[in-house]
Amino acid sequence: MNPARPLKVLLLSVFHPELVRGGAQQVCHELFEAYQARPDVQTTLLAAIDPTFTSLYKSGAGITGFDGREGEYLFLSRDYDPVWHKTGDIQLINAFVDFLQLVRPDVVHFHHFLLFGIDLISLTRTVLPQARIVFTFHEFMAMCPVDGHLVRTTDQSVCTRATALRCHQCLPEYGPETFFLREAWMKRHLGVADHFTTPTRFMIDILRGWGLPQDRFTHISNGQAHRGSGRVQEPLRPRRNRFGFFGQFVDAKGVHLLLEAVSILRAEGFTDFSVELNGDNIRYASDARRAQIEAFLEAEAALPLGERIVTLNGSYQADQIGARMRRVDWCVMPSVWFEAFGLVISEAWSFGRPVICSDVGAMAERVTHEGDGLAFHMGDARSLAESLRRACLEDGLWDRLSAGIAPQPSSHQMADSYLSLYNRLLFG
Amino acid sequence: MVANERSGMTGDLGFASHGGVDQVAPLGNGLEALFVSRSGAVMITGWIDDRSDPVDCVNVLGAGWSVRFDGASLGRFRRQDLEGAAQRRSAYPYGYFDLHFADGPIAMTAECRVEVRLRSGAAMSAVVPVRDCDAEELRDVALTYLAGAQYFGDPVVTAISCLERGMGDHIVSLNNHVVSQLTAQPYVQRFGQPGGPLAGSIVVCLYGKPEFLFLQLALYAGLPGMAAYEFIFVSNSPELAERLLDEARICQTIYSMVSTVVILPGNAGFSAANNAAAVVARSSRLVFLNPDVFPRDMDWAQRHTALVADLPPDQTRLFGAPLYYDNGSLMHGGMYFDMDQGVDVVDRKTMAWRLMRVQHYGKGAPPQDRTYLRPRPVPAVTGAFISVEARWFETLEGFSTDYVFGHYEDADLCLRSLDLGFPAYLQDIKMWHLEGKGSTRLPLHEGGSLVNRWLFSSRWGQYCSPALLGPQPSLSAVRQPAPLDPDEPLTSPPARAQDDAPNIGRMLSGRRSPATTGGAQ
Repeated sequence: MNPARPLKVLLLSVFHPELVRGGAQQVCHELFEAYQARPDVQTTLLAAIDPTFTSLYKSGAGITGFDGREGEYLFLSRDYDPVWHKTGDIQLINAFVDFLQLVRPDVVHFHHFLLFGIDLISLTRTVLPQARIVFTFHEFMAMCPVDGHLVRTTDQSVCTRATALRCHQCLPEYGPETFFLREAWMKRHLGVADHFTTPTRFMIDILRGWGLPQDRFTHISNGQAHRGSGRVQEPLRPRRNRFGFFGQFVDAKGVHLLLEAVSILRAEGFTDFSVELNGDNIRYASDARRAQIEAFLEAEAALPLGERIVTLNGSYQADQIGARMRRVDWCVMPSVWFEAFGLVISEAWSFGRPVICSDVGAMAERVTHEGDGLAFHMGDARSLAESLRRACLEDGLWDRLSAGIAPQPSSHQMADSYLSLYNRLLFG
Repeated sequence: MVANERSGMTGDLGFASHGGVDQVAPLGNGLEALFVSRSGAVMITGWIDDRSDPVDCVNVLGAGWSVRFDGASLGRFRRQDLEGAAQRRSAYPYGYFDLHFADGPIAMTAECRVEVRLRSGAAMSAVVPVRDCDAEELRDVALTYLAGAQYFGDPVVTAISCLERGMGDHIVSLNNHVVSQLTAQPYVQRFGQPGGPLAGSIVVCLYGKPEFLFLQLALYAGLPGMAAYEFIFVSNSPELAERLLDEARICQTIYSMVSTVVILPGNAGFSAANNAAAVVARSSRLVFLNPDVFPRDMDWAQRHTALVADLPPDQTRLFGAPLYYDNGSLMHGGMYFDMDQGVDVVDRKTMAWRLMRVQHYGKGAPPQDRTYLRPRPVPAVTGAFISVEARWFETLEGFSTDYVFGHYEDADLCLRSLDLGFPAYLQDIKMWHLEGKGSTRLPLHEGGSLVNRWLFSSRWGQYCSPALLGPQPSLSAVRQPAPLDPDEPLTSPPARAQDDAPNIGRMLSGRRSPATTGGAQ
């Protein structure tokens, strides 16, 4: 390519953050916005959606625009095979080929393969042999067939070693040979990418351990667009006893643990604190967790107003985060999987809220126990309860931890890091 | 299963007796189903208490055609539902079934007259409704009865004895009729054109699992040397045709791999499907591959091409490869034959039996166990990977379509090659064979396995005994070398003198002629 002209970057996102909330699509869209602000980049966003968005599907189209926005397109996924992660629709494949040939990007940056198909990485290489292909891991779906969470279905422990036998133990309806083949299939396509990035360093260790090439990884932290006023002068409060949960009510996010911790403290007579739940998507929780959460909330709602500890605020958009954050002192992140990055940590930090989180994965990497937050044993409601009690009672703890929060990269800094990587891949 | 089969039932109607004997046996008899195919095949099933006066024959009389089922050749099986009524504790197989061919073209009618003749001369007859079915359906019904029936004694041995009395040849003939119909006009679609001369044509018979088409194309495409190969996928599942063609189109777009899809209108079985696919191959080398076989050596195609070009022809005319399970251990390092034998006692009569068994060298062995990896002639190789010179495959007349669905046709091919002077070889190209439990096997597939084991044993049992039996066969052409010194390099054995070849066939004798093929029109 001619270095004098703007770099053409195609970003591929799973879902669009305005349609479905989620960290991967949020980061991808913020990167898109950061690129749009630069004269040296010409960017296009292609966000995959699924057929539940019936009204957005145009008859006969594989790719369409999105709400009249410049440079934003929807990939109308269909006939998607969730086992092998590919589409069986030749028209959609052809539409993607046409799109690549029309956009002619210098860099194709996959932020996921879900709903596109993992084999579209190989197709991109076939159609655009000169383009550089970058793949960002936002979880471990290539490696782990159980939602990419690396949590064992057998005992809910975290998994660091996906093998054919261990995957079969998690999903016994498939034989080990299926997972042997799945791994080969995934690696065949991932192997086509020129480079991989991860938002946290521990992910690189896990993915290298799985067998991806050592020299193709770069850690680039997710950046964050500026939202609202960020840190403001906090009114002095005698106690820092307001906790907030932000995220989806799915099993992996561990909201049930927070509710169990509340029950433990209440049973012990410690009730001078509040918990606000922000989020939704409980429909994606397992039946057992959904029943557990709903039963708790129903019982809570039946209590006299003054005895209630937990409040359900429901879902929120990105521009509402500030208001929600200012209602709490602490952000609780009780995830029972590694988390790839933990966007909520960045959001909490941008408002000066220390995080109380599980002691594994991205949370352990980003949050320094006693430095800028508190860690508790993953999956242990009693350990979480003790952290909540301490957060409420220990004088000066909140001020010390809040002061320890370091500034986080902005989306523009993230864009700089990626552009640096693209240029290295294109020009050496 | 058989006991519950009541369609076309006539037992309640009873049989009109004539010939001077009114009361034949306490329980009487009943014909429960009469299946007739326009192909000429007719199947009966029913029950009879002929303890005191055995059945001489059952005659089915159609419009201008008839079939005689010999009483001695009827397949007999247990009917627990009748045993209480018979008030006898000793085992007696009241149930019967058989398949035969009419003596002329079938003119289908709604009913046929059926007469049962006993050895005493007594006879009974009844008009019986006909179940009109096509040849494929009738084959499947016969196989289902064979596998699903309850037998006294060892079920495999007893079922195979039913086949031995004549039914086996008829099922084989019917299957061949089905196969010839299904392979008469395959649908063939090409995807991409070869850029130059091809070193090989990889033929894959898909077993109802369409995902293996894109998995194989993805995982083979782009490997060193693969540009000189084409894939030919053949499907026995017409319901998957559209999906397979779409996937082939997608794969052509993504991987630019030259492929062909052959669609058959029904399940013609492994042999016929592979034979049909071989016809459209565009190279002089066929590589028959199971859909779950994947390269373990990433340079397998380059090495395969080089082996074929560089080694003496007798070592590459027909060869197999070491195959590995997904758990890393060896799955196949060539095949040899064993003979199971024993005696079964039914109704106070002893019955000696001998049945062949195909075994794999090195099954479950550590992956680098060199004894089983070294290039050498072997009695047979698995059909999961067979590389064969196209002209030699033609000379051998392809896989035998006498085998129903699949199994034993690979060993049969190798033995025919050996019989013509060229044993199968094992060459050291390592592949994965992701053999799992697979899809649920229906009784008709079990019936097919029974037919195949019977057929293979009767066709090759005498031929292989004793020089080709056991892991260390005494036949010089396939004698296995001594265990390897761990430090000894793996090399191909020296080329065998050409004039040695014709002797092999003469050293072995007694091969049974192929099953009769008469009957099916």
